[in-house]
Amino acid sequence: MGPLINPWLLYGLCAVGAAGVALALPRRGVSPQVVGAGVGGAGLLGVFAALGVSNAAHLPNLHFYLFSAIALGSALRVITHPRPVYAALFFVLTILASCGLYIVLGAEFMGFALVIVYAGAILITYLFVIMLATQAPTADRVDALSEYDRVSREPLVATIVGFLMVGALTGMMARGVGTIPAPAPGADPRAGLLMMLPGKVERELRERALIGRDDVILTASDGLPAMDLAARTVRVGSPGGAEQRTAPIPADVRVSNVEGLAFELIANHPGAIEIAGVILLMAMLGAVVLARKKVDLDEHERPAAFGPGGGHP
Amino acid sequence: MSAILAQADYPALMSAPTLFHYLVVSAFMFGLGLVGFLTRRNLIIMFLCTELMFQAAGLALVAFSRFHLNHTGETFVIFVLTVAAAEAAMALALVVLLFRRKETLDAERWEEMRG
Repeated sequence: MGPLINPWLLYGLCAVGAAGVALALPRRGVSPQVVGAGVGGAGLLGVFAALGVSNAAHLPNLHFYLFSAIALGSALRVITHPRPVYAALFFVLTILASCGLYIVLGAEFMGFALVIVYAGAILITYLFVIMLATQAPTADRVDALSEYDRVSREPLVATIVGFLMVGALTGMMARGVGTIPAPAPGADPRAGLLMMLPGKVERELRERALIGRDDVILTASDGLPAMDLAARTVRVGSPGGAEQRTAPIPADVRVSNVEGLAFELIANHPGAIEIAGVILLMAMLGAVVLARKKVDLDEHERPAAFGPGGGHP
Repeated sequence: MSAILAQADYPALMSAPTLFHYLVVSAFMFGLGLVGFLTRRNLIIMFLCTELMFQAAGLALVAFSRFHLNHTGETFVIFVLTVAAAEAAMALALVVLLFRRKETLDAERWEEMRG
């Protein structure tokens, strides 16, 4: 399988995107942000079009293109908007679009966790600090913003560096990703997890009236539920096991994303959860220690802040 | 809604967009975060740009997780979230300290800290 996209085309489109980002970055005087956004958007559109053409056998997935365009467009706005509060709000939009992409990928739990943790908690902390640490503008004009927000540092060099990396990365992946073996069709390794969830199967069967109110899933001689996942059947019977029969498992009874993720976390990565907890605890302690520290203004800053007499009263 | 969730049915291969589509979006998002980190001079926006790079990494992880039909990539995203939360707490505490010291968020005012 050859490259998924002609590398030279990809590099050219990366250069177009880089030119757009370089134009859109805030700078002194007139900054052509709209033009830059347009050029960058044209580059992104080119990449999508080239990828869509190379993949014409499949139906285009509009949700993917929509969410990724929103995500990348608002990411561009995060790094170009001169007002920090708006940059943070555009980052929330990036998060929401990423959540959409996660849901398209079937990772519902991570998508919603992203909204709750990122958009709900982390970004609110950012907004608090931005509001604490930014002087309120006197008039609703860009001129009222601090100089360091209005003028970016080395926009051209940074864009070239960044997009050289993106070009190298995507060009390399275009050659490599096509050769990663996909799992065999129909062999979903997660299907076996249904064996661990007899209660869920029992509840689903009872709701569909496929088994009686008092029937339960029987236990096989090896102690596991008597399920045949290859044939998708299950042995059910009365609690004592007096009368037994085989019931089919409907095709749409399967392990959900949350259940699969829970098994992966608890069964395969139990130590990692502990480590995450320790990291969070240490971060909390560190933040408390840092925030309690009393800091005086620099010697050089004092005259500026308190007038020529200087110093605290 | 059903159109979106229909793709959660785990067909054998990723439906319309391939793994590469997601990796391209992830790479571009990472590049934008990198450019923002290098160009912006506001300390808070610089940290926001690192969050953008975290996002890009998370998207690539979830796409790989979906491609290989297992949940390992998604568990890694939980740790990306953890590290991002820890980083936000520490970095913002530091930013508040630095702001109290100089009354500005300009990263270039801390030039004397260069190693």
